Amino acid sequence: MAQHTTRLVPDKPARPALLSAEGLRYLLARPSTREALVAYVFLTPFFIFFIVFVLRAIVQAGYMSLHDWKVLGTTQKFIGLQNYTELLNDDVWWIALKNTAVFAALTVAGTTALSLGLALILRRNLRGTNFFRSAFYAPSILSVGIVAICWGWLMNTDFGVINYALRSLGLRPINWTGDAAVVIPALSLVTIWWGFGFPMLIMLAGLQNIPEQLYEAARIDGANPRQVFWYITLPLLRPTLLFVTVTGFIAHFQVFGQPYFMTNSGGPGRASYTVILYLYEAAWEAFRMGFASSVAFTLAIILMIITLIQFFFIGRRVEY
Amino acid sequence: MSTTKRLSPGDMVLYVVLILMVFVVSFPLLYATSQSFQTNQTLYRYPPTIVTTEPTLQNWQNLFNREDLMLPRWLANSFYVATSHTLLVLLVTSLAAYAFARLKFPGRNVLFFLLLATLMIPGQVTLIPNYLVLRDLKMLNTPSAMILPGVANVTAVFLLRQFFMSIPTELEEAAIIDGASRFGVYWRIVLPLSIPALIALAIFVFQANWNDLLWPLVVTSQVEQRTLPVGLSILNGSYGTQERGLVLAGAIFSTIPVLLVYLVFQRWIIRGVTFTSGFGGR
Repeated sequence: MAQHTTRLVPDKPARPALLSAEGLRYLLARPSTREALVAYVFLTPFFIFFIVFVLRAIVQAGYMSLHDWKVLGTTQKFIGLQNYTELLNDDVWWIALKNTAVFAALTVAGTTALSLGLALILRRNLRGTNFFRSAFYAPSILSVGIVAICWGWLMNTDFGVINYALRSLGLRPINWTGDAAVVIPALSLVTIWWGFGFPMLIMLAGLQNIPEQLYEAARIDGANPRQVFWYITLPLLRPTLLFVTVTGFIAHFQVFGQPYFMTNSGGPGRASYTVILYLYEAAWEAFRMGFASSVAFTLAIILMIITLIQFFFIGRRVEY
Repeated sequence: MSTTKRLSPGDMVLYVVLILMVFVVSFPLLYATSQSFQTNQTLYRYPPTIVTTEPTLQNWQNLFNREDLMLPRWLANSFYVATSHTLLVLLVTSLAAYAFARLKFPGRNVLFFLLLATLMIPGQVTLIPNYLVLRDLKMLNTPSAMILPGVANVTAVFLLRQFFMSIPTELEEAAIIDGASRFGVYWRIVLPLSIPALIALAIFVFQANWNDLLWPLVVTSQVEQRTLPVGLSILNGSYGTQERGLVLAGAIFSTIPVLLVYLVFQRWIIRGVTFTSGFGGR
């Protein structure tokens, strides 16, 4: 058998020096190296897009926000934090921020109440639940323009059917999109109609994840429906509720289409002017790209604080 | 559930609430449809005519006759852009997700953390730099401007990675022993097993791209390159006060394809919502 050696265990090949052709071949032949190479090939397309349109963009936005950036300029003037101080001293910015925060808070409150109520009803699995679920989610698939055009006509002051209904009931008609005191709640109402289906579906899934035994145990202990809601449903739904309210708040904070369509970009006056409208006009109407970048970064910081609050709360998940 | 159960009074109340809600949800669209068949004379009149006895097709004809309105073209643009974008996202993110889920390589944790960290930063931050880079690449007013920037979808990578990790490794190991390459495993085993997740994600990505207003508004300026949401803003801006019937017809025209897709795929779409939110469900 063995022709020239009697050793039973074959020699492990000696590891060659790394920086040689031999060493490279050895390294490439290793399964772990091959796996890593395959992984990098798999990742390459994603990282090309990620580096160009995400990482580079974020870094460049930060860089631009420190400059007086002219769209067609070849050299850009470094001005430190001046864009940020200008922003913080601009009354219009604070109006936009306040409008946006009020809009987001109203919309989230309304959406959460409505979608929780409907999810609780649908959870009872009445006949036709699938139909109702599909019907209630339907507005969410529409684009903002469709929603705004349809509602704009319903809310028309002189010819709108809502004011017609109010007058018929003997109430005063409302100047929905033309009255500074009403316009934000009006946009909020439209947005609730548009978007309540999404949190409703998520809360429905959350409710279905609550173990049935808990309800049985409560029933045996003689709890009434209100107690069941406050002491079982609500605490166990807390992670879902937090997810829905915080992601909703962030999403509605970025409102753009509704005032763009319905109030002629923020009217009357500045009553429905929002943060993204401010950003849009700074960048694409005034063409102040550096200043607009500082707006984007300030918005990012605000949203990050909200996200951190979310992590802080959801981190303390309820166990059951 | 039970089939012959009689309705309790409590359930009756709930049904009333649900049916009322169906009315609230459908009324704006139904009303807009009915109004789009009226002349301007009957539209701008008080009290409003809810259903007209003399319907006219005038608004719908104008929708396709006006020089500055290109609704079929905008619809086709939206469809082309959203479809290309979605397919590209699925391909690119599923490859990356497979690497993160199954392959070992130096830097895996660092890269994954980097991805998650960028999730904290809202899209508006990248708006201006991406606009400038597309301008320098001469891509403004092309479909690429609306297809490419969002392809590095971190949420998609994250969700697909989670899904891939839930697939039993035995299948993949057997395929590798039988001589399949890594790409073969990904393409012939992992992707087919992930079709429900891929469909859910596709719907989510498609819908977001289809409905986007701000980005297409910024990167297109020629009327032939606009997408439907921007087109609607042109329609509304030009005719909103004078010819409301025309504008309503345009809105309903844009609703029809979306609503048809929804009617066909509603079960998938509804399942997809809970999948993409990461809250499980069924």
